[in-house]
Amino acid sequence: MAKRGAPPLEGELLQGTLDVLILKTLALGPAHGHTIAYAIERRSEDVLQVEHGSLYPALHRLEDRGWIASFWGTSENNRKARYYRLTPKGRKQLAAQTSRWEQLARAVNRILRPATE
Amino acid sequence: MSWRRFFQRRKWDEERARELDAYLQAETDANLARGMAPQEARDAARRKLGNATRVREEIYSMNTIGSFEALRQDLGYAARMLRRNPGFAAVAVLTLALGIGANTAVFSLIDAVMLRSLPVRDPHELVVMQWRAHHMSFNGEYSSFSDCGESGISGPSGCSFPLPIFKQIRSQTNAFSGASAFAGPAALNLSGNSPATMVDGEIVSGDYFSTLGVNAALGRTLGPSDDSPSASPAVVLSYACWQSAFGGSRSVLGRTILLNNIPFTIVGVAERRFTNLSPGKSQDLWLPIAMLPRLNVDWGHEIDGLTNWWLVIIARLKPGVSLDQAQTAASLVFSHEVLDAGKTISEVSEPKILLTRAQEGLVGERGTLSKMLYFLMVAVGVILLIACANVAGLLLSRGAARRKEIAVRLALGAGRARIVRHLLTESILLSVLGGVCGIIFAYWGVHAITALVTAGSSERFPYVLGPDYRVLSFALGVCVATGILFGLAPALRSVRVDLAPTLKENISSLSGSVARIGRFHLGDALVVAQVALSVLVLVGAGLAMRTLENLRNINPGFDTRNILLFEVDPTLLGYKDAQIENLYGELRQRLAALPGVASVTYSSDALLDGGRWTETIHFEDQPQKGGVEANMLAAGPEFFTTMHIPLLQGRMFTPADFDQASAAEKARKQDTNARSSSTALNSSGAVVPISVLVNKAFVQQYYLTENPLGKHITKGGSSGSGGGAFGNHYDIAPTWEIVGVVGDTKYDSLRRKIVPIVYVPLTSGGCYFELRTATDPRTLASAVRSATSEVDSNLPLSHVSTQTQVIDKSLSQERLIALVSSFFGLLALALACIGLYGLLAYEVSRRTREIGIRMALGAQPSDVLSVVVRQGLVLAVLGAALGIGIALGVTRYLASMLFNVRPSDPLTLAGVALVLLCVAALACWIPARRAMRVDPMVALRYE
Repeated sequence: MAKRGAPPLEGELLQGTLDVLILKTLALGPAHGHTIAYAIERRSEDVLQVEHGSLYPALHRLEDRGWIASFWGTSENNRKARYYRLTPKGRKQLAAQTSRWEQLARAVNRILRPATE
Repeated sequence: MSWRRFFQRRKWDEERARELDAYLQAETDANLARGMAPQEARDAARRKLGNATRVREEIYSMNTIGSFEALRQDLGYAARMLRRNPGFAAVAVLTLALGIGANTAVFSLIDAVMLRSLPVRDPHELVVMQWRAHHMSFNGEYSSFSDCGESGISGPSGCSFPLPIFKQIRSQTNAFSGASAFAGPAALNLSGNSPATMVDGEIVSGDYFSTLGVNAALGRTLGPSDDSPSASPAVVLSYACWQSAFGGSRSVLGRTILLNNIPFTIVGVAERRFTNLSPGKSQDLWLPIAMLPRLNVDWGHEIDGLTNWWLVIIARLKPGVSLDQAQTAASLVFSHEVLDAGKTISEVSEPKILLTRAQEGLVGERGTLSKMLYFLMVAVGVILLIACANVAGLLLSRGAARRKEIAVRLALGAGRARIVRHLLTESILLSVLGGVCGIIFAYWGVHAITALVTAGSSERFPYVLGPDYRVLSFALGVCVATGILFGLAPALRSVRVDLAPTLKENISSLSGSVARIGRFHLGDALVVAQVALSVLVLVGAGLAMRTLENLRNINPGFDTRNILLFEVDPTLLGYKDAQIENLYGELRQRLAALPGVASVTYSSDALLDGGRWTETIHFEDQPQKGGVEANMLAAGPEFFTTMHIPLLQGRMFTPADFDQASAAEKARKQDTNARSSSTALNSSGAVVPISVLVNKAFVQQYYLTENPLGKHITKGGSSGSGGGAFGNHYDIAPTWEIVGVVGDTKYDSLRRKIVPIVYVPLTSGGCYFELRTATDPRTLASAVRSATSEVDSNLPLSHVSTQTQVIDKSLSQERLIALVSSFFGLLALALACIGLYGLLAYEVSRRTREIGIRMALGAQPSDVLSVVVRQGLVLAVLGAALGIGIALGVTRYLASMLFNVRPSDPLTLAGVALVLLCVAALACWIPARRAMRVDPMVALRYE
């Protein structure tokens, strides 16, 4: 669902990446679904457009694996909303996946932009 | 997926719905803040979220197993459909219940008779010892009790061995961890426990129960210490005997009973599940081998020697020893003891010792029932096929009605495989429901069949019936298989629809869009198949009934009405020859004095009872002829007049004949020790032959051109089988003189042709009494019992019945087959005709509009009638022709069971075809009448 700028990332790459983006967003503090979705869009300067509907299955999956935990709280507009927070296990996952992503990026970069002889 | 979440998935789904609602609220608020109108804000929020239901579905499916969920949905939907069509469901379930129930019933009988494993510990370790030879002629005494098969492919075989061999086998501890021997059952006289009765006692070695691993339900079982001559006589009761004869009271332990007047102590009762070892046999108690000589049983004398072969040896293989190793060890024992010693067997060629697994080796009485059971299995299989075809036809009609529903589902995106799976789930649900009802039918059916099998005899059904995993898994398998069988074709048919025309159609354009091959469609083919199969079953039933009629109409050669029979064996009480004669004479007097008794006599065997006694005889005036085998019957005074057998030549027995015969026997017994070859000597030392009678067949076979009266016959060599009552052991041959010729009678069975019979005077041994009564013989049974007990209260009567009952019992298998196959034949006919009726009724309702148009255009009601009836009759005739064709090919396998009827008997075939066409015509006529009554105006407006 590209709006402007670069086209969205494809397929499973996006799924795994979506997980780590959610974890990072929650590392800054608990949030509910709506906030997480906008946070990702904003922080990536609208490059990454997430279909908001597919966010919730991802949140469910992460909760299933025990990386995030949920609780009901009150949102900014004084409405009831479901909040998520990062668990210690999730924190460890975040660190691991972040370093793996950086490795991957470095490797791709080395091929695309080789160091000048 | 976590299990907690699985069980709470509905709750999670609700939470999720609230969460999505919260999202929508937040987004709407944000949109309002951006300045959109309220309605626009809400719509924009929804668009941003996407398909909320799909999100929920995705999460829900993450919480569950996909196929399980689909199955649950299918089952729920199928159950709702069935509830909405109770009539259809009831008919289908009932039809299936009949088919599946019949199959389960017959299979559980087959399981009980053929497949059930021996009720002992680790039956796969037990082996039974058998000998097999090309030819083996015997010098000693050989007894066998139908524990294992008697003849192999390459010659005779058996499993009776002498006691010394058993002892040697038992000592082979490197091959066997235990060995035991058994023989019997022996008919014993039980007294000391209210009225005297006959019981069956199995003679076993001391380690029988420990080798087999059978425990006691009360007290203890026999042990090696009981099997010695110095031990006090002990006996173990079977559970069934304990319940029926001793009332199941615990006070039997330690009680003393008299078996053949020998006191025995009851030391225990065997556990309930150990009813018998060899299938189909049963016994009431077990006694040790060491006690046998005291009991005065025919085959129980000189049991220690190598000349008496009577024990079945069963052993448990030692763990780690293979069958071949054990077999080699056994063969070594056999050759060492018997062949090298060379005493007992006179001519033997290539004898082999085989060890067979007890499960296959102990055949017992299986053979008698197995043929009938396989016939029944085929019959019920055919019935099940008819039921499946019937229900498939029903499903086809319903499928046509549901075409619109399926078209809508296909249009909405359901996969065809998914719909077929759903329809199959419906069929399997139907068949499982039918199976559950069928199990009830099966239970009833098994009891009915076993009651028929044991009708007329006082014995229990000798096989253990009861549900076990094999029967239940068979029933379940049959359910699923039938569900798929009758559901698959209609299901595949249903999904093959053109979407657009089907969605647009209404009743008026509902024309022949069912499967067509030429002018026939699948529904027609199903009806033809049903009719053909029911013709097949009916032909089988017809042949069975004709066989029974033919057997019933055989003239047995004597008057079978109003004869009361019973058996006595005074030798079990120790009576000797002269005492037996006096006893019989007194019994005859007393019984003849009873009111309603016309005359009394006795004989060594009752006619048509299945007992056979043969001797080899030589003709004195034709020595070159050699020995021929003759059938014997010993008869008492007035035998022929009582049984109404006509005298054709010469004279009947006189009292002088009996005196002569008993004197001859006494003399012969005295001379046996001296081993001289003389026969009866009167006071002057001349040979006096014993008077005998022969029947007409004997004369026609051996004396066709001469007058048989006065001719002499001698007996040479004895080979008795079955006639245990006359078990005297001759060494010296008596001479017989023919003094009379009587009319032919059937001997041991109705099926066998008339054989030559030699009648000798009965002087000793057990016998059957025959009373000719003026009225119903059964009314005299109790009077006979009291008269007998007045003579000797310890003398039990056994096998009290009438001659007609004996004949019926000999025909019991044929009666059973005729009855059951007629039942199945009628059932098949009913199912086929219901199928035909259903098809025609559906056709008529489908074509109501067309019929209305025809009638409006001038067709007469009779034209409509003939069209419908013609359609039905064509199917019936086709089915009948097909069925007769199959019958002609298949019934040849029944030839061995038939009597005087050819397998392709045209009368039966014609009769079946006629019956079928009449019933089919009726099945066609009812819907045809409904078609006739169609009012054109109503039909034309009918949508």
